Formats: sequence, C-alpha cells, structure tokens
Amino acid sequence: MTAITKYHEVFCKVLGVSEDVLPMLVYQSIESWDSVGHMALMASLEEMFEIAFDTDDIIDFSSYSKGLEILKKYGVQF
Amino acid sequence: MASNSRRLEGKVAIITGCNRGIGASLLASFAAQGATVIAAARRNSPEFQQRIAALTHDFNCAIKPIFFDAADESAVKEALRAVLAEVPHIDILVNNAGIAHGGLLSMTPLSRVREVFQVNYFGPLAVTQVVSRKMIRQRSGVIVNVSSVAGLDPNPGNCAYGASKAALAYVTGVLAKELAEYNIRVNAVAPGLVSTQMADAMEFDAREQMVASSAMKRLGDPSEIADAVLYLCSEKASFVSGQVIRVDGGM
Repeated sequence: MTAITKYHEVFCKVLGVSEDVLPMLVYQSIESWDSVGHMALMASLEEMFEIAFDTDDIIDFSSYSKGLEILKKYGVQF
Repeated sequence: MASNSRRLEGKVAIITGCNRGIGASLLASFAAQGATVIAAARRNSPEFQQRIAALTHDFNCAIKPIFFDAADESAVKEALRAVLAEVPHIDILVNNAGIAHGGLLSMTPLSRVREVFQVNYFGPLAVTQVVSRKMIRQRSGVIVNVSSVAGLDPNPGNCAYGASKAALAYVTGVLAKELAEYNIRVNAVAPGLVSTQMADAMEFDAREQMVASSAMKRLGDPSEIADAVLYLCSEKASFVSGQVIRVDGGM
C-alpha cells in the first residue's frame, strides 16, 4: 500500500468520509472532524506511519493538505 | 520473595519520581504485583540501581530506569518517546514526581512558584501528553496523578505547592472527561502527611500540628499511598474515573 493510500484510508475510516471529498477537507468543516475526531485521526496516523507527532504539529494539522506537509517532516514520502 | 496475587502481571506501567518517598514505594508495590515498570527519576544513583536490581530479583519482574528532569519539557518528551517505542503497549501512568515548597506568599519569590508548577503541574501534563497518545491508539489505559491534601485544603504557606497540586487535581477531572472516549480512566490520590523526606523537611511544629489534627493522629506510610494507587490502577476500579481520593488518615 502506498503512503497516500494509507493516508486516505485513515481519513476515510476515522472521519467516515469518502475519498473524493478529502482534498477540500479542513478541520471542523465536518461534524466528525471535531477536537475528539482530531485526536482519533492523529492517533491513527501515528499508528499507521509509526511516528509520534509533536504537539505543535497536532495543532497545525488543520487540513488534509496541511497534513501531507506535516507527515513529510516525519519522513513519510508521498 | 514472590507475591501470591500478581494483579499487574503483563501490564506495563510508567511511574515518575521513583527515586524516593512515595515513588520508591510505588515502584516496589508495582514490582511486587508483577508489572513491568518504566521507572522514571530525575537522576541516576548507585542506590537507585541497587534498589532496582533487588526488586527485579525479588519479584521476578522487569524494571527499566529512565532519567529526565520533569521541569524540562523537551527532555521529558525525548526520554518518553524513546522508551514508548520499545514497549508494545502502555497500560498505566502514575504522575508522582513533585517538589515541595512551603512559605507565605509574601516570602515566596514568583520564580519559586513557577519552578514548583513546572515540576508539579507542567511536568505531569507533558508526560501525559506523550503517554496518553499511545493509550489513545490502544483505546485503553489508566492514569493516576499524585496530588495532595495541600491542593484540596487551602492553608497558609501553600501558595506554590498546594496551588500546583490543586491544579493537578483539577486537571484530573478534565482529562477523565477528555479521555473516557478512548477507554482511559484518570484519577488522583491526595496523600496527607506521609513519612518521607518531604515531611521531614517541614517545620517540626507544622508537622506535629497536621498530625494532631488528623483523625488517626499519625503519619501515613508511603506503602499506604501506593496501595490506593494500585487500587485505582486495578480492574477493581473499572468504573472509577475523575476522582481525587484522599489518603490522609482523616484530615
């Protein structure tokens, strides 16, 4: 499975959305991406990519696209 | 020596402030119950290593010492991330590390108040931030904060220590609600006066007055605090969360 496929899989599973809406997705734009959903998303991404986010990155993770940038910092190649 | 009831067999626990006082007793109690313990302390010493070796031998358990200054957030995170990567799961966190300070506000530099809060409040928050994320991923865990009756009963001289422990007691309830969704329980114990170096450092009159005002009229033993923490970490407390339990001999 490629990194982008894994990334999409986590988003879709945790937030309960379909893949086609992902590029426009931003924090709190949908009901399931509230603060509780955000922590579940962070935990699942950490598990999927075997990383541990800094708190600042958890705060900065404000959208689908911002998440791609942040994950690159942790060595994930998209 | 082996315990008959190893209630924590297979569990992995992180305990901070293991070098002395209540922390040393927590370490011994968790080891006796068969837990694998990540024993955090501010600094290493031959005595600490000897104690770990003895406990490991006596109770046939694993103890991994780690060292960081609870006031140094980046050191906390670095040390914990390294050790958390080595264990498959983390079941228990006991935020025990703390420093004492007694003194009227007019005689307490604010720098000292900040220092006490750094260790007693921000330190546990930093540890909890890192450890709880692994617990969130697991969808399970237990956190116990070691607060103090000084954080519950406002008394002269407690503008730093008491206030920091009050903050820790308060955040216990907050975290219990934030983390319940992930099957993580969060509680605190509030020890009264316990027979430790911290109590020895108190002014004699103040200590005697506290003892005299308690129903049981004696100091607590560190093992009595450890027993309360063990209960909160056990399945016996499976429906207990967000509580601050006084273990104070009736103060």
